Amino acid sequence: MEVSHSVKERTIAENSLVILLQGLHGHITTVDLRDESTATGRVTNVDAFMNVRLVEVTFTDRQGTVSRLDELFVTGRNVRYVHIPDEVDIRATIERQLQAIHRVRYFGGRDKGRKEFPRAKHK
Amino acid sequence: GGAMSFLKRFPPPAEGVRHQQPDTEAVLAGRTLGAGTLYIAESRLSWLENSGVGFSLDYPTISLHAVSRDLNAYPWEHLYVMVNAKFEEEESKEAPMAEGEEEEDSDDDVEPIAEFRFVPSDKSALEAMFSAMCECQALHPDPDDEDSDNDYEGEEYDVEAHELEQGDIPTFYTYEEGLSHLTAEGQATLERLEGMLAQSVSSQYNMAGVRTEDSIREFEDGMEVDIAPVVAGQFEDAEVDH
Repeated sequence: MEVSHSVKERTIAENSLVILLQGLHGHITTVDLRDESTATGRVTNVDAFMNVRLVEVTFTDRQGTVSRLDELFVTGRNVRYVHIPDEVDIRATIERQLQAIHRVRYFGGRDKGRKEFPRAKHK
Repeated sequence: GGAMSFLKRFPPPAEGVRHQQPDTEAVLAGRTLGAGTLYIAESRLSWLENSGVGFSLDYPTISLHAVSRDLNAYPWEHLYVMVNAKFEEEESKEAPMAEGEEEEDSDDDVEPIAEFRFVPSDKSALEAMFSAMCECQALHPDPDDEDSDNDYEGEEYDVEAHELEQGDIPTFYTYEEGLSHLTAEGQATLERLEGMLAQSVSSQYNMAGVRTEDSIREFEDGMEVDIAPVVAGQFEDAEVDH
């Protein structure tokens, strides 16, 4: 489970839905861009600023011209919409990402405190 | 073709150059600008023709970049960079329109778009060029981001998030972490309360006005509370209620 090495980025992710996008690593996803072009490819990385990195991309530009791109990096500012694939369980993904962040944050430290707490509220 | 008006002479960047690719052709909207060196630096992306003129692009203006190896779309493998800005081009009636690349539409007042292609003679360098650009781009997050909640400094522990009961985060501090969050006043309060707690422990043994040796020893231990009558039967009818 990849989690950012930056405290600031982990905090941003934890408090926004970027955390859901970060759980899409490895999934084939379509990203709609601000200029109405779209890119469909496999997600390799999403950072806290919603910069999205895709591989094996089918890119359809504004005019509708289709081309293939080996790798694509879209800045967060230009992402209008990210399609969440049907096979992705949104809630489970968010929980998994949060746990990954907490494992990093509390490594060797707060784990004692966490074990005293019920693991999950609704199972 | 002649010089593009936006081309200027400037020295190549000296600092923070993550990648440098010589012998790279720059193409704008289908027109070649010549052969030169691409500098992928942390501050900006620059390209300098071998003659010494070139241009720079600021990362915040770059919408996306990609590695294109699709020879049907463009006949040479290249680094594609889409920029959210307008670039003056030399007026030329014979300007060739390459496949798929068109001039900005007139209805494009909102979003000026310029498409650059950087074609290295060494195709195997494209991966490194792409990655270097990703790294540099990540150094320039969008300053116009309306989501002001992204204003985090220092402390990772977000009290609000915990109050909203996200996940299984405990809503209390463990001892070590909690101590570091106390103000001087808080610490004084903690010490006072601890003192009171210790006092109340010892007072159990004082209830009947009797202090035994054992109770004194346990008192010195501070936090440890082991409730056991030291005099057999003495507190049997006492109600211990916590």
